[in-house]
Amino acid sequence: MSNLTRAAVLVILFVIVAPLAVPVMMSVSDTPFMTFPPQGFTLRWYWKVLAEPEVQQSLWVSIRLAAAAAIGSLILGIPCAIGLVRYRVPGRNAILGLVLSPLIVPLLVTGLALLQFFSLAGNRWTFFQLAMGHIVICLPYVVRNVSNSLLLANPDLESAARIMGADRWTTFRRVTWHQIRPGITSGAIFAFIVSFDDFPISMWLADAREFPLPLFLEVAIQRFFDPSIAALSTLMILLALVMIGVMEALLGIKVRRFAG
Amino acid sequence: MMSRARADSLSGALLVLPAIGFLLVFFLAPNLLLVGYSVIARMEAGVMQYGLTFDNYVRAFSVDLYWLVLVRTVRMGLMAALVSAAIAYPLAIAIAQGGLFGRVVTLVVVTPLLVNVVIRSYAWSQLLSRQGALNWALTNLGIAENPPQLLYTEWAVLIASVHVFLPFIVLPLAAAIGAIAPEIGQAARMAGANRVRVFLRVILPLSVPGLAVGLSLVFSLTAAAYVTPQILGGNFSPLIGTLIHQQVLALNDWPFGAALASLLIVLVLSINLVFLRGAERLTRRWTAGAGN
Repeated sequence: MSNLTRAAVLVILFVIVAPLAVPVMMSVSDTPFMTFPPQGFTLRWYWKVLAEPEVQQSLWVSIRLAAAAAIGSLILGIPCAIGLVRYRVPGRNAILGLVLSPLIVPLLVTGLALLQFFSLAGNRWTFFQLAMGHIVICLPYVVRNVSNSLLLANPDLESAARIMGADRWTTFRRVTWHQIRPGITSGAIFAFIVSFDDFPISMWLADAREFPLPLFLEVAIQRFFDPSIAALSTLMILLALVMIGVMEALLGIKVRRFAG
Repeated sequence: MMSRARADSLSGALLVLPAIGFLLVFFLAPNLLLVGYSVIARMEAGVMQYGLTFDNYVRAFSVDLYWLVLVRTVRMGLMAALVSAAIAYPLAIAIAQGGLFGRVVTLVVVTPLLVNVVIRSYAWSQLLSRQGALNWALTNLGIAENPPQLLYTEWAVLIASVHVFLPFIVLPLAAAIGAIAPEIGQAARMAGANRVRVFLRVILPLSVPGLAVGLSLVFSLTAAAYVTPQILGGNFSPLIGTLIHQQVLALNDWPFGAALASLLIVLVLSINLVFLRGAERLTRRWTAGAGN
Protein backbone atom coordinates (compact mmCIF):
# COMPACT_ATOMS: atom_id res chain seq x y z
CA MET A 1 0.00 0.00 0.00
CA SER A 2 1.44 3.36 -0.97
CA ASN A 3 1.90 6.11 1.61
CA LEU A 4 -0.69 8.17 -0.22
CA THR A 5 -3.33 5.45 0.21
CA ARG A 6 -2.34 5.03 3.85
CA ALA A 7 -2.69 8.77 4.46
CA ALA A 8 -6.10 8.79 2.77
CA VAL A 9 -7.21 5.87 4.94
CA LEU A 10 -6.11 7.68 8.12
CA VAL A 11 -8.01 10.84 7.13
CA ILE A 12 -11.16 8.81 6.41
CA LEU A 13 -10.88 6.95 9.73
CA PHE A 14 -10.65 10.32 11.48
CA VAL A 15 -13.81 11.54 9.73
CA ILE A 16 -15.60 8.31 10.72
CA VAL A 17 -14.74 8.67 14.41
CA ALA A 18 -14.80 12.47 14.86
CA PRO A 19 -18.59 12.94 14.71
CA LEU A 20 -19.03 10.39 17.50
CA ALA A 21 -16.63 12.40 19.66
CA VAL A 22 -18.79 15.53 19.41
CA PRO A 23 -21.62 14.39 21.74
CA VAL A 24 -19.02 12.95 24.11
CA MET A 25 -17.32 16.36 24.37
CA MET A 26 -20.57 18.28 24.65
CA SER A 27 -21.96 16.00 27.36
CA VAL A 28 -19.59 17.37 29.99
CA SER A 29 -20.13 21.05 29.19
CA ASP A 30 -21.05 23.04 32.30
CA THR A 31 -23.61 25.17 30.45
CA PRO A 32 -27.41 24.84 30.36
CA PHE A 33 -27.32 24.78 26.55
CA MET A 34 -25.34 22.97 23.86
CA THR A 35 -22.23 24.76 22.69
CA PHE A 36 -19.01 24.06 20.88
CA PRO A 37 -16.36 24.13 22.19
CA PRO A 38 -17.77 22.88 25.52
CA GLN A 39 -17.12 25.06 28.58
CA GLY A 40 -16.12 23.79 31.99
CA PHE A 41 -16.57 20.22 33.15
CA THR A 42 -19.46 18.53 34.89
CA LEU A 43 -21.04 15.12 35.09
CA ARG A 44 -24.42 16.41 36.25
CA TRP A 45 -26.10 15.84 32.87
CA TYR A 46 -25.41 12.12 33.25
CA TRP A 47 -27.23 12.02 36.61
CA LYS A 48 -30.02 14.17 35.25
CA VAL A 49 -30.69 11.97 32.24
CA LEU A 50 -30.43 8.72 34.19
CA ALA A 51 -32.91 10.02 36.77
CA GLU A 52 -35.42 10.90 34.06
CA PRO A 53 -38.40 8.50 34.46
CA GLU A 54 -39.10 8.57 30.71
CA VAL A 55 -35.54 7.42 29.98
CA GLN A 56 -35.79 4.58 32.49
CA GLN A 57 -39.15 3.50 31.10
CA SER A 58 -37.95 3.52 27.46
CA LEU A 59 -34.77 1.69 28.36
CA TRP A 60 -36.79 -1.01 30.11
CA VAL A 61 -39.10 -1.37 27.09
CA SER A 62 -36.08 -1.70 24.78
CA ILE A 63 -34.42 -4.33 26.96
CA ARG A 64 -37.60 -6.43 27.26
CA LEU A 65 -38.23 -6.10 23.55
CA ALA A 66 -34.69 -7.06 22.55
CA ALA A 67 -34.79 -10.08 24.88
CA ALA A 68 -38.14 -11.20 23.44
CA ALA A 69 -36.88 -10.71 19.87
CA ALA A 70 -33.66 -12.64 20.55
CA ILE A 71 -35.46 -15.54 22.26
CA GLY A 72 -38.25 -15.68 19.66
CA SER A 73 -35.86 -15.64 16.71
CA LEU A 74 -33.69 -18.33 18.33
CA ILE A 75 -36.73 -20.59 18.86
CA LEU A 76 -37.75 -20.22 15.20
CA GLY A 77 -34.26 -19.82 13.72
CA ILE A 78 -32.27 -22.72 15.19
CA PRO A 79 -34.56 -25.53 13.89
CA CYS A 80 -34.90 -23.68 10.59
CA ALA A 81 -31.12 -23.52 10.12
CA ILE A 82 -30.73 -27.21 11.05
CA GLY A 83 -33.48 -28.20 8.61
CA LEU A 84 -31.95 -26.14 5.80
CA VAL A 85 -28.36 -27.34 6.30
CA ARG A 86 -28.72 -30.95 7.49
CA TYR A 87 -31.87 -32.21 5.73
CA ARG A 88 -33.19 -32.47 2.19
CA VAL A 89 -35.93 -29.88 2.37
CA PRO A 90 -38.13 -29.46 -0.70
CA GLY A 91 -37.92 -25.91 -2.10
CA ARG A 92 -34.74 -25.15 -0.17
CA ASN A 93 -33.76 -22.06 -2.16
CA ALA A 94 -37.24 -20.54 -1.99
CA ILE A 95 -37.28 -21.03 1.79
CA LEU A 96 -33.84 -19.45 2.14
CA GLY A 97 -35.03 -16.54 0.00
CA LEU A 98 -38.09 -16.04 2.21
CA VAL A 99 -36.03 -16.14 5.41
CA LEU A 100 -33.54 -13.55 4.12
CA SER A 101 -36.07 -11.28 2.39
CA PRO A 102 -36.82 -9.11 5.48
CA LEU A 103 -33.31 -7.73 4.86
CA ILE A 104 -34.23 -6.68 1.31
CA VAL A 105 -37.70 -5.18 1.71
CA PRO A 106 -37.22 -1.72 3.28
CA LEU A 107 -37.78 -1.98 7.05
CA LEU A 108 -39.95 1.10 6.99
CA VAL A 109 -42.30 -0.65 4.54
CA THR A 110 -42.44 -3.85 6.61
CA GLY A 111 -43.27 -1.76 9.68
CA LEU A 112 -46.10 0.04 7.91
CA ALA A 113 -47.40 -3.26 6.51
CA LEU A 114 -47.47 -4.74 10.02
CA LEU A 115 -49.26 -1.69 11.40
CA GLN A 116 -51.95 -2.09 8.74
CA PHE A 117 -52.13 -5.85 9.33
CA PHE A 118 -52.47 -5.47 13.11
CA SER A 119 -55.06 -2.72 12.87
CA LEU A 120 -57.27 -5.13 10.91
CA ALA A 121 -57.04 -7.39 13.95
CA GLY A 122 -58.00 -4.61 16.34
CA ASN A 123 -54.55 -3.27 17.32
CA ARG A 124 -54.56 -4.39 20.94
CA TRP A 125 -51.32 -5.80 22.35
CA THR A 126 -48.63 -3.24 21.52
CA PHE A 127 -45.77 -5.20 23.06
CA PHE A 128 -46.74 -8.39 21.24
CA GLN A 129 -46.97 -6.49 17.94
CA LEU A 130 -43.56 -4.86 18.46
CA ALA A 131 -42.05 -8.24 19.35
CA MET A 132 -43.45 -9.93 16.22
CA GLY A 133 -42.05 -7.13 14.03
CA HIS A 134 -38.65 -7.40 15.70
CA ILE A 135 -38.54 -11.19 15.35
CA VAL A 136 -39.15 -10.78 11.58
CA ILE A 137 -36.05 -8.60 11.21
CA CYS A 138 -33.87 -10.58 13.66
CA LEU A 139 -34.62 -14.03 12.22
CA PRO A 140 -32.31 -13.69 9.16
CA TYR A 141 -29.31 -12.95 11.43
CA VAL A 142 -29.96 -16.00 13.61
CA VAL A 143 -30.50 -18.35 10.64
CA ARG A 144 -27.34 -17.07 8.94
CA ASN A 145 -25.12 -17.35 12.03
CA VAL A 146 -26.40 -20.79 13.02
CA SER A 147 -26.17 -22.07 9.41
CA ASN A 148 -22.57 -20.89 9.20
CA SER A 149 -21.54 -22.80 12.30
CA LEU A 150 -23.47 -25.90 11.13
CA LEU A 151 -21.54 -25.79 7.87
CA LEU A 152 -18.28 -25.64 9.82
CA ALA A 153 -19.25 -28.47 12.21
CA ASN A 154 -18.42 -32.06 11.36
CA PRO A 155 -21.63 -34.01 10.53
CA ASP A 156 -19.81 -37.33 11.04
CA LEU A 157 -19.96 -36.78 14.80
CA GLU A 158 -23.76 -36.66 14.58
CA SER A 159 -23.83 -39.85 12.50
CA ALA A 160 -21.55 -41.52 15.01
CA ALA A 161 -23.91 -40.63 17.86
CA ARG A 162 -26.88 -41.97 15.87
CA ILE A 163 -25.06 -45.22 15.07
CA MET A 164 -24.24 -45.61 18.77
CA GLY A 165 -27.98 -45.61 19.41
CA ALA A 166 -28.73 -42.00 20.43
CA ASP A 167 -32.10 -40.69 19.27
CA ARG A 168 -32.41 -37.43 17.32
CA TRP A 169 -33.07 -35.29 20.41
CA THR A 170 -30.17 -36.75 22.39
CA THR A 171 -27.91 -36.30 19.37
CA PHE A 172 -28.93 -32.65 19.15
CA ARG A 173 -28.54 -32.05 22.88
CA ARG A 174 -25.24 -33.88 23.33
CA VAL A 175 -23.50 -33.24 19.98
CA THR A 176 -24.99 -30.65 17.63
CA TRP A 177 -25.79 -28.10 20.35
CA HIS A 178 -22.15 -27.96 21.46
CA GLN A 179 -20.90 -27.72 17.89
CA ILE A 180 -23.12 -24.79 16.96
CA ARG A 181 -23.04 -22.89 20.25
CA PRO A 182 -20.75 -20.12 18.88
CA GLY A 183 -23.25 -19.55 16.04
CA ILE A 184 -26.16 -19.45 18.49
CA THR A 185 -24.31 -16.99 20.73
CA SER A 186 -23.41 -14.64 17.90
CA GLY A 187 -26.89 -14.98 16.41
CA ALA A 188 -28.42 -14.07 19.78
CA ILE A 189 -26.09 -11.07 20.17
CA PHE A 190 -26.87 -9.84 16.65
CA ALA A 191 -30.61 -10.27 17.26
CA PHE A 192 -30.42 -8.35 20.53
CA ILE A 193 -28.47 -5.48 18.91
CA VAL A 194 -30.70 -5.31 15.83
CA SER A 195 -33.80 -5.13 18.00
CA PHE A 196 -32.31 -2.73 20.56
CA ASP A 197 -31.27 -0.35 17.76
CA ASP A 198 -34.36 -0.65 15.62
CA PHE A 199 -36.17 2.52 14.64
CA PRO A 200 -38.10 1.92 11.38
CA ILE A 201 -40.23 -0.99 12.69
CA SER A 202 -40.90 0.44 16.15
CA MET A 203 -41.80 3.84 14.74
CA TRP A 204 -45.07 2.41 13.39
CA LEU A 205 -45.96 -0.06 16.14
CA ALA A 206 -45.05 1.75 19.37
CA ASP A 207 -47.44 3.71 21.54
CA ALA A 208 -46.94 6.12 24.45
CA ARG A 209 -46.56 3.30 27.00
CA GLU A 210 -44.36 0.98 24.95
CA PHE A 211 -41.91 3.56 23.59
CA PRO A 212 -38.46 2.07 22.85
CA LEU A 213 -35.30 4.08 23.55
CA PRO A 214 -34.37 5.02 19.94
CA LEU A 215 -37.82 6.58 19.48
CA PHE A 216 -37.44 8.45 22.76
CA LEU A 217 -34.03 9.76 21.62
CA GLU A 218 -35.45 11.06 18.36
CA VAL A 219 -38.18 12.97 20.18
CA ALA A 220 -35.85 14.15 22.93
CA ILE A 221 -33.27 15.77 20.63
CA GLN A 222 -36.00 18.13 19.47
CA ARG A 223 -37.19 18.81 23.01
CA PHE A 224 -34.13 19.05 25.26
CA PHE A 225 -31.58 21.72 24.52
CA ASP A 226 -29.27 21.07 27.47
CA PRO A 227 -26.41 18.56 27.19
CA SER A 228 -28.38 15.71 28.83
CA ILE A 229 -29.13 14.11 25.44
CA ALA A 230 -25.43 14.28 24.61
CA ALA A 231 -24.83 12.47 27.91
CA LEU A 232 -27.36 9.76 27.01
CA SER A 233 -25.75 9.42 23.56
CA THR A 234 -22.33 9.06 25.18
CA LEU A 235 -23.64 6.27 27.39
CA MET A 236 -25.02 4.46 24.34
CA ILE A 237 -21.74 4.90 22.45
CA LEU A 238 -19.91 3.39 25.45
CA LEU A 239 -22.38 0.49 25.42
CA ALA A 240 -21.57 -0.07 21.72
CA LEU A 241 -17.83 -0.13 22.50
CA VAL A 242 -18.39 -2.69 25.25
CA MET A 243 -20.38 -4.87 22.85
CA ILE A 244 -17.59 -4.64 20.25
CA GLY A 245 -15.20 -5.79 22.94
CA VAL A 246 -17.42 -8.72 23.87
CA MET A 247 -17.78 -9.78 20.23
CA GLU A 248 -14.05 -9.48 19.64
CA ALA A 249 -13.43 -11.67 22.68
CA LEU A 250 -15.95 -14.27 21.46
CA LEU A 251 -14.54 -14.15 17.95
CA GLY A 252 -11.03 -14.49 19.33
CA ILE A 253 -12.04 -17.61 21.26
CA LYS A 254 -13.63 -19.05 18.14
CA VAL A 255 -10.62 -18.34 15.96
CA ARG A 256 -8.30 -19.99 18.47
CA ARG A 257 -10.55 -23.05 18.67
CA PHE A 258 -10.56 -23.49 14.91
CA ALA A 259 -6.82 -22.98 14.72
CA GLY A 260 -6.13 -25.52 17.45
CA MET B 1 -40.25 -48.88 5.51
CA MET B 2 -40.11 -45.30 4.36
CA SER B 3 -37.04 -44.54 2.31
CA ARG B 4 -34.26 -42.65 4.10
CA ALA B 5 -34.51 -39.66 1.77
CA ARG B 6 -38.24 -39.22 2.29
CA ALA B 7 -37.97 -39.50 6.06
CA ASP B 8 -35.18 -36.94 5.83
CA SER B 9 -37.15 -34.42 3.84
CA LEU B 10 -40.16 -34.88 6.13
CA SER B 11 -38.22 -34.09 9.30
CA GLY B 12 -36.46 -31.25 7.45
CA ALA B 13 -39.82 -29.79 6.50
CA LEU B 14 -41.05 -30.08 10.10
CA LEU B 15 -37.96 -28.21 11.30
CA VAL B 16 -38.33 -25.27 8.92
CA LEU B 17 -42.12 -25.12 9.18
CA PRO B 18 -42.45 -22.86 12.28
CA ALA B 19 -40.16 -20.19 10.80
CA ILE B 20 -41.89 -20.36 7.40
CA GLY B 21 -45.34 -20.14 8.97
CA PHE B 22 -44.26 -17.20 11.09
CA LEU B 23 -42.85 -15.30 8.10
CA LEU B 24 -45.89 -16.04 5.97
CA VAL B 25 -48.18 -14.56 8.63
CA PHE B 26 -46.09 -11.68 9.96
CA PHE B 27 -44.04 -10.71 6.89
CA LEU B 28 -45.35 -11.89 3.53
CA ALA B 29 -49.08 -11.49 4.18
CA PRO B 30 -48.79 -7.94 5.62
CA ASN B 31 -46.58 -6.81 2.72
CA LEU B 32 -48.92 -8.29 0.11
CA LEU B 33 -51.86 -6.73 1.92
CA LEU B 34 -50.08 -3.37 1.79
CA VAL B 35 -49.57 -3.59 -1.97
CA GLY B 36 -53.18 -4.72 -2.39
CA TYR B 37 -54.45 -1.85 -0.29
CA SER B 38 -52.79 0.68 -2.60
CA VAL B 39 -55.03 -0.38 -5.53
CA ILE B 40 -58.37 -1.06 -3.84
CA ALA B 41 -58.91 2.13 -1.86
CA ARG B 42 -58.41 5.86 -2.11
CA MET B 43 -59.14 8.90 0.01
CA GLU B 44 -61.47 11.42 -1.51
CA ALA B 45 -62.11 14.59 0.48
CA GLY B 46 -61.27 12.77 3.68
CA VAL B 47 -63.58 9.82 2.96
CA MET B 48 -62.31 6.33 2.11
CA GLN B 49 -63.62 5.02 -1.23
CA TYR B 50 -63.25 1.32 -2.05
CA GLY B 51 -62.94 -0.22 -5.53
CA LEU B 52 -60.14 -1.00 -7.96
CA THR B 53 -58.18 2.20 -8.61
CA PHE B 54 -54.78 3.43 -9.76
CA ASP B 55 -55.43 6.97 -8.54
CA ASN B 56 -52.86 6.69 -5.76
CA TYR B 57 -50.11 5.97 -8.28
CA VAL B 58 -51.30 8.62 -10.72
CA ARG B 59 -51.20 11.08 -7.83
CA ALA B 60 -47.63 10.13 -6.86
CA PHE B 61 -46.39 10.83 -10.39
CA SER B 62 -48.57 13.81 -11.37
CA VAL B 63 -48.49 16.05 -8.29
CA ASP B 64 -45.28 18.10 -8.44
CA LEU B 65 -44.66 17.95 -4.70
CA TYR B 66 -44.68 14.14 -4.59
CA TRP B 67 -42.79 13.73 -7.87
CA LEU B 68 -40.08 16.00 -6.49
CA VAL B 69 -39.71 13.81 -3.39
CA LEU B 70 -39.43 10.66 -5.55
CA VAL B 71 -36.73 12.28 -7.73
CA ARG B 72 -34.87 13.56 -4.67
CA THR B 73 -34.97 10.07 -3.12
CA VAL B 74 -33.45 8.43 -6.22
CA ARG B 75 -30.84 11.21 -6.55
CA MET B 76 -29.86 10.97 -2.87
CA GLY B 77 -29.57 7.18 -3.06
CA LEU B 78 -27.37 7.32 -6.16
CA MET B 79 -25.13 10.09 -4.82
CA ALA B 80 -24.68 8.37 -1.46
CA ALA B 81 -23.81 5.11 -3.27
CA LEU B 82 -21.22 6.77 -5.54
CA VAL B 83 -19.60 8.92 -2.85
CA SER B 84 -19.32 6.00 -0.43
CA ALA B 85 -17.85 3.80 -3.20
CA ALA B 86 -15.08 6.37 -3.73
CA ILE B 87 -14.37 6.53 0.01
CA ALA B 88 -14.68 2.76 0.46
CA TYR B 89 -11.91 1.70 -1.98
CA PRO B 90 -8.87 2.83 0.06
CA LEU B 91 -10.46 1.38 3.22
CA ALA B 92 -11.28 -1.93 1.51
CA ILE B 93 -7.75 -2.21 0.10
CA ALA B 94 -6.31 -1.60 3.58
CA ILE B 95 -8.62 -4.25 5.08
CA ALA B 96 -7.83 -6.76 2.32
CA GLN B 97 -4.10 -6.41 2.94
CA GLY B 98 -4.69 -7.53 6.52
CA GLY B 99 -2.11 -7.18 9.26
CA LEU B 100 -2.53 -4.97 12.30
CA PHE B 101 -3.42 -1.94 10.19
CA GLY B 102 -6.13 -3.88 8.37
CA ARG B 103 -7.61 -5.05 11.68
CA VAL B 104 -7.68 -1.51 13.07
CA VAL B 105 -9.39 -0.26 9.90
CA THR B 106 -12.00 -3.02 10.14
CA LEU B 107 -12.72 -2.18 13.76
CA VAL B 108 -13.06 1.58 13.12
CA VAL B 109 -15.31 0.95 10.10
CA VAL B 110 -17.58 -1.50 11.95
CA THR B 111 -17.83 0.26 15.34
CA PRO B 112 -20.26 3.03 14.22
CA LEU B 113 -22.69 0.28 13.12
CA LEU B 114 -23.29 -0.44 16.79
CA VAL B 115 -24.01 3.20 17.61
CA ASN B 116 -27.70 3.92 17.17
CA VAL B 117 -28.56 5.69 13.94
CA VAL B 118 -30.41 8.41 15.86
CA ILE B 119 -27.22 9.23 17.75
CA ARG B 120 -25.06 9.23 14.63
CA SER B 121 -27.48 11.59 12.89
CA TYR B 122 -27.72 13.74 16.00
CA ALA B 123 -23.91 13.93 16.18
CA TRP B 124 -23.81 15.21 12.59
CA SER B 125 -26.52 17.76 13.33
CA GLN B 126 -24.37 19.08 16.19
CA LEU B 127 -21.37 19.22 13.83
CA LEU B 128 -23.15 20.94 10.97
CA SER B 129 -25.38 23.45 12.76
CA ARG B 130 -24.65 27.18 12.65
CA GLN B 131 -22.91 27.16 16.05
CA GLY B 132 -21.63 23.65 15.42
CA ALA B 133 -18.13 22.25 15.57
CA LEU B 134 -17.48 22.49 11.81
CA ASN B 135 -18.33 26.18 11.55
CA TRP B 136 -16.37 26.84 14.73
CA ALA B 137 -13.31 25.17 13.19
CA LEU B 138 -13.73 26.93 9.82
CA THR B 139 -14.03 30.34 11.49
CA ASN B 140 -11.14 29.86 13.90
CA LEU B 141 -8.80 28.46 11.29
CA GLY B 142 -9.57 31.53 9.19
CA ILE B 143 -10.84 29.44 6.28
CA ALA B 144 -14.25 31.05 6.12
CA GLU B 145 -15.92 33.99 7.80
CA ASN B 146 -19.55 33.45 8.65
CA PRO B 147 -19.81 30.07 6.91
CA PRO B 148 -23.31 29.05 5.80
CA GLN B 149 -25.29 26.51 7.78
CA LEU B 150 -25.18 23.05 6.22
CA LEU B 151 -27.80 21.60 8.55
CA TYR B 152 -31.25 21.18 6.99
CA THR B 153 -29.87 20.97 3.45
CA GLU B 154 -29.55 18.00 1.11
CA TRP B 155 -25.78 18.16 1.63
CA ALA B 156 -26.21 17.43 5.32
CA VAL B 157 -28.41 14.43 4.50
CA LEU B 158 -25.85 13.19 1.96
CA ILE B 159 -22.88 13.54 4.33
CA ALA B 160 -24.64 11.76 7.19
CA SER B 161 -26.05 9.00 4.94
CA VAL B 162 -22.58 8.23 3.61
CA HIS B 163 -21.23 8.11 7.17
CA VAL B 164 -24.05 5.89 8.42
CA PHE B 165 -24.08 3.38 5.54
CA LEU B 166 -20.36 3.28 4.62
CA PRO B 167 -19.69 -0.09 6.34
CA PHE B 168 -22.24 -1.75 4.04
CA ILE B 169 -20.06 -1.06 1.00
CA VAL B 170 -16.61 -1.35 2.62
CA LEU B 171 -17.14 -4.93 3.83
CA PRO B 172 -18.33 -6.53 0.53
CA LEU B 173 -15.62 -4.59 -1.34
CA ALA B 174 -12.94 -5.81 1.07
CA ALA B 175 -14.16 -9.38 0.62
CA ALA B 176 -13.99 -9.05 -3.19
CA ILE B 177 -10.53 -7.43 -3.16
CA GLY B 178 -9.26 -9.98 -0.64
CA ALA B 179 -10.27 -12.77 -3.05
CA ILE B 180 -8.03 -11.39 -5.84
CA ALA B 181 -4.87 -13.51 -6.10
CA PRO B 182 -1.93 -11.25 -5.19
CA GLU B 183 0.06 -12.79 -8.10
CA ILE B 184 -2.19 -10.96 -10.57
CA GLY B 185 -1.19 -7.58 -9.16
CA GLN B 186 2.47 -8.60 -9.01
CA ALA B 187 2.36 -9.79 -12.61
CA ALA B 188 0.91 -6.47 -13.68
CA ARG B 189 3.63 -4.60 -11.77
CA MET B 190 6.34 -6.75 -13.39
CA ALA B 191 4.85 -6.07 -16.79
CA GLY B 192 5.49 -2.39 -16.08
CA ALA B 193 2.15 -1.12 -14.86
CA ASN B 194 2.26 1.65 -12.24
CA ARG B 195 0.04 1.70 -9.12
CA VAL B 196 -2.75 3.68 -10.78
CA ARG B 197 -2.80 1.31 -13.72
CA VAL B 198 -2.84 -1.74 -11.46
CA PHE B 199 -5.83 -0.26 -9.63
CA LEU B 200 -7.70 0.62 -12.82
CA ARG B 201 -6.95 -2.56 -14.79
CA VAL B 202 -6.75 -5.20 -12.05
CA ILE B 203 -8.33 -4.25 -8.71
CA LEU B 204 -11.27 -2.23 -10.07
CA PRO B 205 -12.53 -4.79 -12.63
CA LEU B 206 -12.02 -7.78 -10.32
CA SER B 207 -13.82 -6.08 -7.44
CA VAL B 208 -16.96 -5.34 -9.49
CA PRO B 209 -19.11 -8.07 -7.86
CA GLY B 210 -18.40 -6.66 -4.37
CA LEU B 211 -18.87 -3.14 -5.65
CA ALA B 212 -22.30 -4.02 -7.05
CA VAL B 213 -23.45 -5.51 -3.74
CA GLY B 214 -22.18 -2.46 -1.84
CA LEU B 215 -23.72 0.05 -4.25
CA SER B 216 -27.14 -1.58 -4.07
CA LEU B 217 -27.01 -1.83 -0.27
CA VAL B 218 -26.08 1.85 0.20
CA PHE B 219 -28.66 2.93 -2.37
CA SER B 220 -31.44 0.87 -0.76
CA LEU B 221 -30.63 1.93 2.79
CA THR B 222 -30.32 5.62 1.90
CA ALA B 223 -33.49 5.70 -0.20
CA ALA B 224 -35.52 3.94 2.49
CA ALA B 225 -34.10 5.84 5.48
CA TYR B 226 -36.30 7.84 7.80
CA VAL B 227 -34.15 8.97 10.73
CA THR B 228 -31.18 10.53 8.94
CA PRO B 229 -33.17 12.66 6.43
CA GLN B 230 -35.57 13.63 9.21
CA ILE B 231 -32.90 14.87 11.62
CA LEU B 232 -30.51 16.43 9.07
CA GLY B 233 -32.90 17.54 6.35
CA GLY B 234 -35.70 18.74 8.57
CA ASN B 235 -38.89 19.47 6.70
CA PHE B 236 -37.07 21.23 3.89
CA SER B 237 -35.85 18.26 1.88
CA PRO B 238 -37.92 15.21 2.79
CA LEU B 239 -37.23 11.82 1.21
CA ILE B 240 -39.92 9.24 0.52
CA GLY B 241 -39.73 7.78 4.05
CA THR B 242 -40.74 11.09 5.62
CA LEU B 243 -43.53 11.45 3.05
CA ILE B 244 -44.95 7.98 3.81
CA HIS B 245 -44.79 8.70 7.54
CA GLN B 246 -46.61 12.01 7.03
CA GLN B 247 -49.32 10.57 4.78
CA VAL B 248 -50.13 7.70 7.13
CA LEU B 249 -49.69 9.10 10.63
CA ALA B 250 -50.44 12.80 10.14
CA LEU B 251 -52.92 12.85 7.25
CA ASN B 252 -54.39 9.38 7.76
CA ASP B 253 -54.24 8.71 4.01
CA TRP B 254 -53.37 5.01 4.28
CA PRO B 255 -54.00 4.01 0.65
CA PHE B 256 -51.65 6.72 -0.65
CA GLY B 257 -49.08 5.80 1.99
CA ALA B 258 -49.38 2.18 0.87
CA ALA B 259 -48.87 3.21 -2.77
CA LEU B 260 -45.72 5.19 -1.88
CA ALA B 261 -44.42 2.23 0.15
CA SER B 262 -45.08 -0.10 -2.80
CA LEU B 263 -43.18 2.29 -5.07
CA LEU B 264 -40.28 2.19 -2.60
CA ILE B 265 -40.22 -1.64 -2.73
CA VAL B 266 -40.22 -1.56 -6.55
CA LEU B 267 -37.47 1.09 -6.58
CA VAL B 268 -35.21 -0.85 -4.23
CA LEU B 269 -35.75 -4.21 -5.95
CA SER B 270 -35.18 -2.82 -9.45
CA ILE B 271 -32.01 -0.94 -8.47
CA ASN B 272 -30.69 -4.13 -6.86
CA LEU B 273 -31.47 -6.05 -10.03
CA VAL B 274 -29.82 -3.43 -12.27
CA PHE B 275 -26.61 -3.26 -10.23
CA LEU B 276 -26.23 -7.01 -9.69
CA ARG B 277 -27.16 -8.00 -13.27
CA GLY B 278 -24.91 -5.25 -14.64
CA ALA B 279 -21.99 -6.52 -12.60
CA GLU B 280 -22.63 -10.08 -13.76
CA ARG B 281 -22.66 -9.01 -17.41
CA LEU B 282 -19.48 -6.92 -17.05
CA THR B 283 -17.63 -9.75 -15.33
CA ARG B 284 -18.74 -12.23 -17.98
CA ARG B 285 -17.59 -9.96 -20.79
CA TRP B 286 -14.20 -9.37 -19.18
CA THR B 287 -13.56 -13.00 -18.37
CA ALA B 288 -14.60 -13.97 -21.91
CA GLY B 289 -12.06 -11.43 -23.22
CA ALA B 290 -9.36 -12.85 -20.97
CA GLY B 291 -9.73 -16.24 -22.67
CA ASN B 292 -8.42 -14.97 -26.00
